[in-house]
Amino acid sequence: MGAYRADDDYDYLFKVVLIGDSGVGKSNLLSRFTRNEFSLESKSTIGVEFATRSIKVDDKVVKAQIWDTAGQERYRAITSAYYRGAVGALLVYDVTRHVTFENVARWLKELRDHTDANIVVMLVGNKADLRHLRAVSVEDATAFAERESTFFMETSALESMNVENAFTEVLTQIHSVVSKKALEVGNDPAALPKGQTINVGSRDDVSAVKKGGCCSN
Amino acid sequence: MEKKRLDDHEAATISSPRSLDRFGFLVRPDASTSDGLVKSRSAQFERIREDRRVRKWRKMIGVGGSDWKHYLRKKPHVVKRRIRKGIPDCLRGLVWQLISGSRDLLLMNPGVYEQLVIYETSASELDIIRDISRTFPSHVFFQQRHGPGQRSLYNVLKAYPVFDRDVGYVQGMGFLAGLLLLYMSEEDAFWLLVALLKGAVHAPMEGLYLTGLPLVQQYLFQFEHLVQEHLPKLGEHFAQEMINPSMYASQWFITVFSYSFPFHLALRIWDVFLFEGVKIVFKVGLALLKYCHDDLVKLPFEKLIHALKNFPQDAMNPDILLPLAYSIKISRRLEELRQEYEKKNGKITQSRELTEEQTVQRL
Repeated sequence: MGAYRADDDYDYLFKVVLIGDSGVGKSNLLSRFTRNEFSLESKSTIGVEFATRSIKVDDKVVKAQIWDTAGQERYRAITSAYYRGAVGALLVYDVTRHVTFENVARWLKELRDHTDANIVVMLVGNKADLRHLRAVSVEDATAFAERESTFFMETSALESMNVENAFTEVLTQIHSVVSKKALEVGNDPAALPKGQTINVGSRDDVSAVKKGGCCSN
Repeated sequence: MEKKRLDDHEAATISSPRSLDRFGFLVRPDASTSDGLVKSRSAQFERIREDRRVRKWRKMIGVGGSDWKHYLRKKPHVVKRRIRKGIPDCLRGLVWQLISGSRDLLLMNPGVYEQLVIYETSASELDIIRDISRTFPSHVFFQQRHGPGQRSLYNVLKAYPVFDRDVGYVQGMGFLAGLLLLYMSEEDAFWLLVALLKGAVHAPMEGLYLTGLPLVQQYLFQFEHLVQEHLPKLGEHFAQEMINPSMYASQWFITVFSYSFPFHLALRIWDVFLFEGVKIVFKVGLALLKYCHDDLVKLPFEKLIHALKNFPQDAMNPDILLPLAYSIKISRRLEELRQEYEKKNGKITQSRELTEEQTVQRL
């Protein structure tokens, strides 16, 4: 089963989802983070898209497996299945469209209904480069994030501002949750396609996938 | 500033004309061949062959389609065979309307489209506007902001949710409408969309877009089983790697291959799709997997997903892929799987029956 893993060197594999209203820039955040690309000519996402990138956290290689989902409400029939097993989420709104911020609470509820309680959530206010069109204040977003215990950052996929930071912060936080706890081998039904599943602490903790190794047997 | 960004971007596209392929899509400088035509045949030979085909087709359909129904009744197998070889591009728009039943709908409902566009409003207008520039963004007709392409796309997409509020506007419809608009007028495109979603000739497809996307779920269920049965080794590999068809095939069904496949291939699929129904979408999907089978079975999860979204050029050559698709027989099994799915999940209810009376009554 693991023969090909040799060329794919990582210590942890974390599943992360990108959610939020249609047109807030989820796909461009993903392409900026994984390929350093941005496109003004991008198509609406139909269904789900997928990309990965590995980064270093402390001395470990952490691989993010990121699922980008269609934002339109009706697509949740398909996309909510992808929340399962996610240990991190970027919940994106558009700082120039207040309604996308108003909907954040609903997205969060939906996310929490489908995932582990300890999922690391980053509220992301994208399109922060459009300064004069701003419709959501940093204060409002910060207050929401504090109330809901999520992280918060404003980004611009266009200007490549904070995109790296937002993803890195999510992955670092997941990693710290994972490494803080005493590891305990378990068999999580929400296991990711590859690798060994490690349950950390009680069943309410963030589940992460660790490459087979010290804890697998 | 967003506006400025877009304007700058537009100015750039207009002032430095980039090259277009024969369908009007911008050709990326790194793309080798835009339409995958067989290069070895000389262009002249192609043209002579094409002329001959057009003449045959003109004879078959008659002036403005007048002989079509007669010919179809008399020689359905000839029609089927010719459509499978591809409808000549210059007749495509007309033939699509004839085979989909949309021409009849249009004639039965004079003035209705205009009414829908001009006098009624839809709750989805803002959603539609946001998606307009994200539909075939690399096609010259849809590129210009507020240009004729974007305006007609907006009108068709706005008219549909007014026509049927239960279905409403769903992302993905734009690719269907956009493809149609490259071959026919707004009004014709609208009625063809109605014919497809309401099922004028084949089973209605509105379930692709209704709340819960019930038909997408059913098609994915059927497709997954067909993969397991026709390509057992690959089916097993998918199961092992936890790949399910919603990861790669939902777009195939929701947009009938118009979202991300080469346009010349999408058109050939649409020729058959409009005449024979959604079966061809399953067959093409299976043919793609079959063609790439030996590579796919070797790939691990991530590479597999990537491969399933980026098929190689040679796999997408219609003259290779389509004959392979036609050779896969699935009709009986597809129907059995539909029944099996319905037994488990209940029948998909239609939002509203399509009758002339109701169409007119609504206004």
